[in-house]
Amino acid sequence: MSGRSSPSGGSLAPYLQVAPLAFLMITMVGIPLLTVVLLSFWEFDGIAVYPAFTWANYKEVLSSPVTLSLFLSTLKYALMTLIATTVVGFTCSYFLVFHVRDLRVQIALFLLCTIPFWTSNVIRMVSWIPFLGREGLFNSLLMQAGIIDQPLDILLYSDFAVVLTYIHLFTLFMIVPIFNSMAKINPNLIEAARDAGASGWQILWGVIVPLSKTGIALGSIFVVTLVMGDFFVVRVMSGGQSASVVSAMKNNIDQLYYPVASAMAVLLIIVVLLMVTAILRVVDIRSELAR
Amino acid sequence: MSQSTTNRRGAAFYLLATFFALFVIFLYGPMLMIFILSFQGPTGGLTFPMRGVSTHWFHDLWTSSRYGDLGGAFRRSLVLGGLSLAITAVVCLFAGLAFRRRFWGAGPIFYLSIVSLVVPGILLGLGISQLFQLLGLRLAWWLSGLGAHLSWTLPFGLLIMFAVLNRFDGSWEEAARDAGASPRQVLSYVTVPILFPGLIAVALFGFTLSYDEMPRSLLTVGAKNTLPIEISNMTTNVTTPALYAIGTVTSAVSFLVIATAFITIAIVQKRRARAKGKSA
Amino acid sequence: MTEQSRIDIRSVTKLYGAVRAVNDVDLTIDGGAYCCMIGPSGCGKTTLLRMIAGHETPTSGTISIGGEDMTTVRTGSRGTALMFQNYALFPHLSLTDNVAFSLRVNGVAASERRDKAREMLDRVQLLHLADRVPSELSGGQQQRVALARALITNPKVLLLDEPLSALDEFLRLRMRVELKRLQNQLGITFIHVTHTQPEAIALADQVVVMDHGVVEQAASPRTIYNRPHSPYVARFMGGQNVLTGTVQSAGAEGTVVESKDGNLYDLPPIEGAKPGDTANFSVRRDRIQISDTKGDGRNCTEGTVVNIEYQGTFVKLALETGTREEFIVYLDDDAYYAAPKAVGDKVHASWAPKVNHILVGANNSTGTPYED
Repeated sequence: MSGRSSPSGGSLAPYLQVAPLAFLMITMVGIPLLTVVLLSFWEFDGIAVYPAFTWANYKEVLSSPVTLSLFLSTLKYALMTLIATTVVGFTCSYFLVFHVRDLRVQIALFLLCTIPFWTSNVIRMVSWIPFLGREGLFNSLLMQAGIIDQPLDILLYSDFAVVLTYIHLFTLFMIVPIFNSMAKINPNLIEAARDAGASGWQILWGVIVPLSKTGIALGSIFVVTLVMGDFFVVRVMSGGQSASVVSAMKNNIDQLYYPVASAMAVLLIIVVLLMVTAILRVVDIRSELAR
Repeated sequence: MSQSTTNRRGAAFYLLATFFALFVIFLYGPMLMIFILSFQGPTGGLTFPMRGVSTHWFHDLWTSSRYGDLGGAFRRSLVLGGLSLAITAVVCLFAGLAFRRRFWGAGPIFYLSIVSLVVPGILLGLGISQLFQLLGLRLAWWLSGLGAHLSWTLPFGLLIMFAVLNRFDGSWEEAARDAGASPRQVLSYVTVPILFPGLIAVALFGFTLSYDEMPRSLLTVGAKNTLPIEISNMTTNVTTPALYAIGTVTSAVSFLVIATAFITIAIVQKRRARAKGKSA
Repeated sequence: MTEQSRIDIRSVTKLYGAVRAVNDVDLTIDGGAYCCMIGPSGCGKTTLLRMIAGHETPTSGTISIGGEDMTTVRTGSRGTALMFQNYALFPHLSLTDNVAFSLRVNGVAASERRDKAREMLDRVQLLHLADRVPSELSGGQQQRVALARALITNPKVLLLDEPLSALDEFLRLRMRVELKRLQNQLGITFIHVTHTQPEAIALADQVVVMDHGVVEQAASPRTIYNRPHSPYVARFMGGQNVLTGTVQSAGAEGTVVESKDGNLYDLPPIEGAKPGDTANFSVRRDRIQISDTKGDGRNCTEGTVVNIEYQGTFVKLALETGTREEFIVYLDDDAYYAAPKAVGDKVHASWAPKVNHILVGANNSTGTPYED
């Protein structure tokens, strides 16, 4: 792949090859997003939507005290999930890459971590219900062990349940990129650091963490955007007690308040893009992907 | 390929191994539990203890009318998954090949794909459904629904394709052209066969991501629901182990697809590298 | 065979954006010749090769094979076959299918192409591995498969892109012999791109030395080695010391050049040279004597020994003479060990006037001098 063009391919070839993707991306992503932006400026009279140009939807969203608390609670979920998934993802990847010696075992264990990705998120979320409920396995275990007398209510339908489900669903989005970054680290670097007299911790902080930065950043983008985009887990697992920006948006949509929902959506996209840009500022992911 | 430098396992190894094992239990434990609970006896509830073992709740799924059009939803999800699989594999193959060269518009298309990954699914669903409404088109699972699914599967497929093509040597294609192969022959005799294991991975993503997709489908499938939407409705309405039974069924389908993909890849790889370890 | 495998390259230029990878090249390669193109990386030799193969199209100019204009003819139907640097063997096909590939795309029946491929594999002594896949072969075996795959098309011209660079030293020397023998048998044109000077000298009927997209010199290996065209060629091919001086007197009987340190050199006549001009010339390293006493100040130089290397059949002495380049002398080992030198010794080097060779070309770049 020397970047040289070949005559038999012709200079038209890449355009023909990319045309289906470009068409689908433009019609199913580009134009729909523009539609949302457009809609956020339209008028709604309680029954139907009318073409117009008004800032009223934004004023309504921004002047509502609920909006700020929604964003704050969404950010809180995102941050808690991010910290937990980073710690878990880094530890698991570190174990796989630097402590599992047989490459085949390493790949097998890695796949073990990624297989749930190909199964239903809804089901994986549901699967916590028999575990966390009042009569769930966790409570009965704790009661049998004599640690508690009364079943704990905070296990299910709480912020705890929401974040736990997020961690369960999204940790593998952290493991995959960090694992990839770590697998690219030349083992000789670790040897060299050891020869230079670095301790285990110094190698970890001085060599492995900096070289895994790209993976952590990529994983963070995935986790942050997934949490910020969720409405289902937060609704079900909090038992309807907590809300996120998107779940509030979903309520607006259900009540056909499309322009207001669109305005919220635009604000959310701006916040998400700002966060992604901030992460990209720290680490240049494109150079990593190009490798 | 030993990465560790000491020959004796230290305490760190056992600590990390324990952590990893706990993580795997955390990952699979709850799922295992609902698989077990889906075989709950007819009088059993959503949690342990098991009141007998039966396939009552599976029968209940297909016979009872309480759960809506589960059969139809299941069928639609399989069809959508199959369509997404085929379209994702073909579109991403060609797009991946195109992105090896520089061309006008490469950047915007790549970033649009990334945006599609990053944007909340329901929001994109809102956009697609409103666009259809503005254009006066009816929402249908096989059109707007499929489009919404592709907006999710294609970017993933593209990223996988990039990774696959990283290990693809362009001189294979040149060698084929040098031997007189036409562009079509290069594609069918060289490019596709060599990329085949990677294409299976792309196809796997195409199917499973579509088959399990919910947020983007919600507003775009129109009057007829897909399976994940039906299931998510059940989470709030159904308080019997039938919920677990449908979970078991749909997960079994996923695992079947994953296993098929892995086995196919393994067979192709094995046939190609019979001499162990010679090709890294 | 010879006429139809002659290659004529006329005013060929290849631009990559603003970069002139190949700049207005004119070159004729005789049919049935073994041609080696050599130069530092980025000199345009591979681009030229790929244009002959049809993997690149010249920005301007024409390329003819056997007198037929092939400039824009599709690769695969111009009678050339290219052997890739990394061999580019198809990883998913057995050796038989690899070799039979061009027959397959040309619609030859399965049984026939199988027989032909096995015949070809037999020729490169790999028939016993016919059902293996490339990843199961050693580097040398892969190279022979690549050769078989290229030759099954009965090409008029075989193009080899650094064919030996991936092999270890021992195998490289053996394959070099095999390539030469094969070319003799087939009688077709071989064009072989390399960056290794001894490889080019040993194999080629015609050596093409390139630099910055331009052909510096195209000639027989003896001419290239003994009568380099420019200081660049002399340095790049090795075996020569390049000296510079100012013309003192010029005439039909010869030219006298004076170096910075006042030594005089008797050179053959230089056309159009006037006193005061700068002249470059070269002196073969193995035609030089050294002594401890100063001579007559003609065709000689003085320097301090900075390095001594025993090379087996000769001794290589490096002298610091106050110029940019070290002055290298190859001495017969018996003669040297009769009166050995030590680093730091001051010695006088001298040679016969006929050893002086004028470097006409202007390219005075260092290139990547070859040290043997």
